[in-house]
Amino acid sequence: MNHWPFILAAYGVVAAAMALLIGASWRAMRRAERAVEDLRR
Amino acid sequence: MKAKHQRLTLALAALAAIVGAGVLAVSALGEQAAYFYSPADVAREGVPVGRAIRLGGMVEKGSIRRSDDGVTILFTVEDGPARTPVEFRGVTPDLFKEASGVVAEGRFRADGTFIADNLLAKHDERYMPPQLEGGKHKTETLEP
Amino acid sequence: MPALHALANPTRFLSIARPLTPVLLWAGLLLLAVGAWAGLTLTPPDYLQGESVRILYVHVPSAWLGMGGWTGIALASFSLLVWRHPLAAIAARAVALPGAVFAALCLITGSIWGRPTWGTWWEWDGRLTSMLLLFFLYLAWIGLARADAERGGDGRIPAIFGLAGTALLPVIRYSVVWWRTLHQGPSITVSGSSIDGSILWPLWLTLTGFSLVFGAIVLMRMRAMLAQQRLEARMRRMAA
Repeated sequence: MNHWPFILAAYGVVAAAMALLIGASWRAMRRAERAVEDLRR
Repeated sequence: MKAKHQRLTLALAALAAIVGAGVLAVSALGEQAAYFYSPADVAREGVPVGRAIRLGGMVEKGSIRRSDDGVTILFTVEDGPARTPVEFRGVTPDLFKEASGVVAEGRFRADGTFIADNLLAKHDERYMPPQLEGGKHKTETLEP
Repeated sequence: MPALHALANPTRFLSIARPLTPVLLWAGLLLLAVGAWAGLTLTPPDYLQGESVRILYVHVPSAWLGMGGWTGIALASFSLLVWRHPLAAIAARAVALPGAVFAALCLITGSIWGRPTWGTWWEWDGRLTSMLLLFFLYLAWIGLARADAERGGDGRIPAIFGLAGTALLPVIRYSVVWWRTLHQGPSITVSGSSIDGSILWPLWLTLTGFSLVFGAIVLMRMRAMLAQQRLEARMRRMAA
């Protein structure tokens, strides 16, 4: 059995999950912190 | 400060109790949670003919034979001194090799041969490049 | 706990968290890139499992952070219950989601590894079952903490759940020692590693890399929640 499709699938799933998690956390943080800034002004 | 200390003791005691209870519950589970029988278990306790179980152990060196029909594979699963003959029809997993771990799902026939419907390969906790194999690899049992 | 109490003030916490977030994130991503490249191209295959051993470099860190995340929830819960640490509830909620994601990644990558090596996607052995249980605990905890926060709770109920769930961590760790499992025994213990050095070394890179990224995600989520809190407090004052 060729293992490479399995290896690439595993790395792909992890990379996709990381990108989603980082992206969503970053956006939520920026939005909330910017809203605080806007209120202060 | 007093209340804080009280809470600290309480929380520590609760934590110890919870972890202790978990460990107790799990150890009460004991053999029930074992994923497979070893040949030694089979020799000691006996397993009724026809009951579906998993049998795990090491594939004995030099025991793998292919029967005349070309699809049935015969081999011996060993665990220390105990050994069980196994018969399997089908495609073996890549990692199915002599002197490495195997878990067979199936049932015993009246003559004491284990008829496997499915074979799973079991890897052990040692990882090494191919050129180091040989001298270093000497697992004799799947007992944890 | 003087260091923790210095962080009790959200303003002081933010003054540290703001510069720390990008540092953790980029250092982590850099280590991950190097570790993944090394693990995919430089290391030799395993003598028995062959190339599929490379999944180890993402599977083991996922398992470590899946369990580490719950340890984080437990520590935060503990300091919430004992010292009423003001950031504890937020820290626990910030850790829970990435912890659950890593627990899921551990199960998924393990399953992908299991197919070519064991010959099965899933088996109900002690290790796999206890790890799946941890993932469900995360989901239950996240739901409970959200409900508690929405009702204006002080986080004590999820904290008690967080502490109770800790009982599962030693069960996962020792499942492969206590019971016969399909999953192999522990390779890395306090007494050393049974993984040959030529295969092991990228694991340290990805383990550190994932941990730093995990830290960055937690900081980002805490900052978002703190800002949200401020926003809501401001709204209330303006409405009053």
